[in-house]
Amino acid sequence: MLSGLAALAASRTAHAFGDVGAFNPRVVVAGGKRLSGPRSTGPAAWSMELINRTSAPARLAPREVALDRPELCNEPFAVWAGDGDVGSLSVAERRGLSKFIRLGGVLVVDDSDPQQGSFGRSVRRELLRVLPESPPVRLDPSHVVYKTFYIVERPVGRVLGPPTIDAIVRGKNAQVLLLSHDLLGALARSDEGSYSIPTEPSGYDQRQQALRFAVNIAMYVLCSDYKDDQVHAPFLMRRRAQAR
Amino acid sequence: MIERGFGVAEGVGSALTWCLCVLLASWLLLLVLEGRARKVSVWITLSGVVTALLVAAAILRPTRVTTRGTDLFPKVVVLLDRSWRLDLKVGEQTREQVALGALHALQKGLKKARLEVLGFGEGAPHPFVEGQAAAVERPTDSDLTAALRALSAAPGERPEALVVVSDGRLTSPGEAATAESLKELGTRLRIPIHTVAVASAALPDASIRKVGTTGAAVAHQKLALELSVGCSGGLSCDELPITVEELLHGEPPALLVQGTAKVRDGFAKLELPFTLDRAGRRLVRVRLDVPEGDKIAENNQRLLTFDVTRERVRLLHVAGRPTYDVRALRMWLKADESIDLIAFFILRTNSDATQVSDDSELALIPFPVDELFTEHLPSFDAVILQDIDAVEYKLERHLPALARYVRAGGGLIMVGGPSAFMGGGYAGSPLGEVLPVTLPDRDSAPPLDMASFEPRVTLAGRAAPALRGVRELLGERLPQMLGSNTLGPLRPGAIALWEHPDRKAGQGPMPMLALGDSGDGRAIALGVDGTHLLQWSELGEQNAGRAYGALWEGLVGWLMRDPRYESARLELTHECRAGAPATLSITRLPGAAVDVKVTLERLGEAAAASPPKPLQLRMEGNVETATLPLGALSEGGYTATVHIGSSPPARFDFACESGGPAFADSRPDPALLERISQQTGGVSVAAADAGSLKAPPPTHVESQRVVAALLPAWLWSMLAASAIGAHWYARRRAGLL
Repeated sequence: MLSGLAALAASRTAHAFGDVGAFNPRVVVAGGKRLSGPRSTGPAAWSMELINRTSAPARLAPREVALDRPELCNEPFAVWAGDGDVGSLSVAERRGLSKFIRLGGVLVVDDSDPQQGSFGRSVRRELLRVLPESPPVRLDPSHVVYKTFYIVERPVGRVLGPPTIDAIVRGKNAQVLLLSHDLLGALARSDEGSYSIPTEPSGYDQRQQALRFAVNIAMYVLCSDYKDDQVHAPFLMRRRAQAR
Repeated sequence: MIERGFGVAEGVGSALTWCLCVLLASWLLLLVLEGRARKVSVWITLSGVVTALLVAAAILRPTRVTTRGTDLFPKVVVLLDRSWRLDLKVGEQTREQVALGALHALQKGLKKARLEVLGFGEGAPHPFVEGQAAAVERPTDSDLTAALRALSAAPGERPEALVVVSDGRLTSPGEAATAESLKELGTRLRIPIHTVAVASAALPDASIRKVGTTGAAVAHQKLALELSVGCSGGLSCDELPITVEELLHGEPPALLVQGTAKVRDGFAKLELPFTLDRAGRRLVRVRLDVPEGDKIAENNQRLLTFDVTRERVRLLHVAGRPTYDVRALRMWLKADESIDLIAFFILRTNSDATQVSDDSELALIPFPVDELFTEHLPSFDAVILQDIDAVEYKLERHLPALARYVRAGGGLIMVGGPSAFMGGGYAGSPLGEVLPVTLPDRDSAPPLDMASFEPRVTLAGRAAPALRGVRELLGERLPQMLGSNTLGPLRPGAIALWEHPDRKAGQGPMPMLALGDSGDGRAIALGVDGTHLLQWSELGEQNAGRAYGALWEGLVGWLMRDPRYESARLELTHECRAGAPATLSITRLPGAAVDVKVTLERLGEAAAASPPKPLQLRMEGNVETATLPLGALSEGGYTATVHIGSSPPARFDFACESGGPAFADSRPDPALLERISQQTGGVSVAAADAGSLKAPPPTHVESQRVVAALLPAWLWSMLAASAIGAHWYARRRAGLL
């Protein structure tokens, strides 16, 4: 199924011209630690969900990008996922990450093992060293990331996790989203197209919510605060009222 | 002139003279009394008188005084009204001709006066030399107060009289001036002001007497035009229709507002609100429909120039799909506080499976295409169409309106992508006509090309102020683009700033970034979808992504006619008056020698089939400002398009009026002239009687004085001594001693 969807998506993006601006959830490699296991299919599945559900183009074969490589600053988005302590970043990695953020890039930090939380804590520690002036803050439930495409009430991933997300906000933009929900875990698929990792505590609905949240994050990366524009306000207020 | 007289020797004081006079008088009195008492001989009395006079002469030593001098005629200043208004007719002649006739009569009649003829209008008066006063130098106003103020402050000899030659329709003092203020005019110089009225009767005329606005002209905001309409000279006026139109380039005038002036007692006042949507210099024509019998056509319309500002640039950004390129542009636009951004992105297509049971789970709103491109379109300063398919998203039916919007002064940027240009169904559409590039038919060429390339900066791109920022940051390097749209050759007058290094459009390289004027508006075609790589690439990262902002600031700035991104600053050397030569001043950025081409077109008319022949000049490397004579222009609005070398053209709109504010009120006001003379002790006459004015009396000035003794002092003494002796002898003989 995955390959079928990929083929469908590929046919829709047959024009390579246009791909340069396509959503590309590049996976961060830091300290030589790579994303492995079933979650490594998460970024491609993320692109596929985006292509299937929205008009946005996306790269179906996202590549890895190292924090200390200049390619990090070739695109404005990357996802940093893991389940253990990332250790101490090298000077080059810290410099690369700093450049990326200061250039306006968006980084999603996805803790694959939020129950343990060592990945999330270690990334926060390293980010504080890179951006000491920008500590993480809790995003308001009215933040645009909850309404960039779907109207979602809370962040959801493979696990339900906390009802809010923390972020490093610079200027008016949340540039680093710190997730404790194992989003890539919810997106990961096997070669046959089935989801690789079951969601907890509930099943289908939670996964659907997780996919929607992933699409919203992608749309946030592509459109920034577009849905905060005044022109959308009355529609969204009406729909939120209907949803409740 | 020589005058002769007598005096006494130098050194003889008045006290001595008086004492001597008293002594002489006493002496003569004694002689007379003696003669009566003693009956002395008349000869003794006579010798006594002679002796007394000779003694007096010996003391006073009389002199002959000859003086040479001149009669200095008084300085009289003639202030001649130089306003255009004096081109109005008085019978068969213009007021100007009548004024010159009066001047000739003054020159003839005031022969015993030194006449200085000055022309007055605005500010200090200037020497008037008949035959050398070109029409272009003539002012609109007749400010007598300013002229007198300047005269009183000027050093040198003060005039003893002033003669004002005018029709009396003065800007200052106005017809409502008080007697005190008129009196004060004369007290500045402490001289009488004589006046010569060159016209007395008003012609039948209906006119726009005054035009004013409340507040500054700001794009998209209502502006109230306050009009005063007058009817004079016995013309019958009742309700006079007024039309206010904007003059556009290559288009018929666009109606802004209409109204009716209800004239009561020869006067009407009305307010007409209207909105100008485009910023920059806008020309507005106000037309008054006059009744039959109106004799002065020049003041039936006014051409007004508004420098329309904008509080914020209002941009509509429409994107066919969200990409990093869309993201970068949106973030840049949002970060600029001077931009009011309205954005619509297509986030879902009909084939997308959103996996919702109900659309209320989506944060999507319908793309209000009809509303945007009909009702709200004029409210935007520019529209950015980014990679949006006109057919799929029902934009197609609004493309004619969008093209009209551009021609009427709107801005357009079409940003590349698979669904832009040919790929979006724009080829052959009305919008394609306003782009700076032609778009080939879909059958004749593929809509896009997948080959990577680095855009090449053209000669014009190197010279364009719009790309100065990028040049300063990156030089001529640009990031690799992953493919390009297919664009055709440039339209006439358009400029390519970037071109494809390999692909051809017609005979030349394919333009990748082109800009050009279309009617009153401007349009930019960008045939790539990767300008965000100026920020998000190794090249972009080297300057912290600032090149991206520099590019879009330049492009949006050029589109909005920001003077910083124009290739030249243009202005007229003086107000343009119909029928008089106009001259354009061109100031360019410092640089190498360039050829300058200027095309002049009338506003408010459909574009000519063949482009007008350009005027040309060459600016050498050390020349930054040059002037170009445009010739004598007829009444109307004009646009001068200036091409400086290979830079994008700069444009300057201006109006040439036949009458303008000078003709606004055609009524002469001899009563005001009479009041001025009355209050300052002068005389007011009609032009026909100008020769009857009298000059003040001349002043005599001595230039030489010669004093010569009538006789030498020793001779006076000898004669006096002899006379004393003879008198003594006579008295002795008569037995009086």
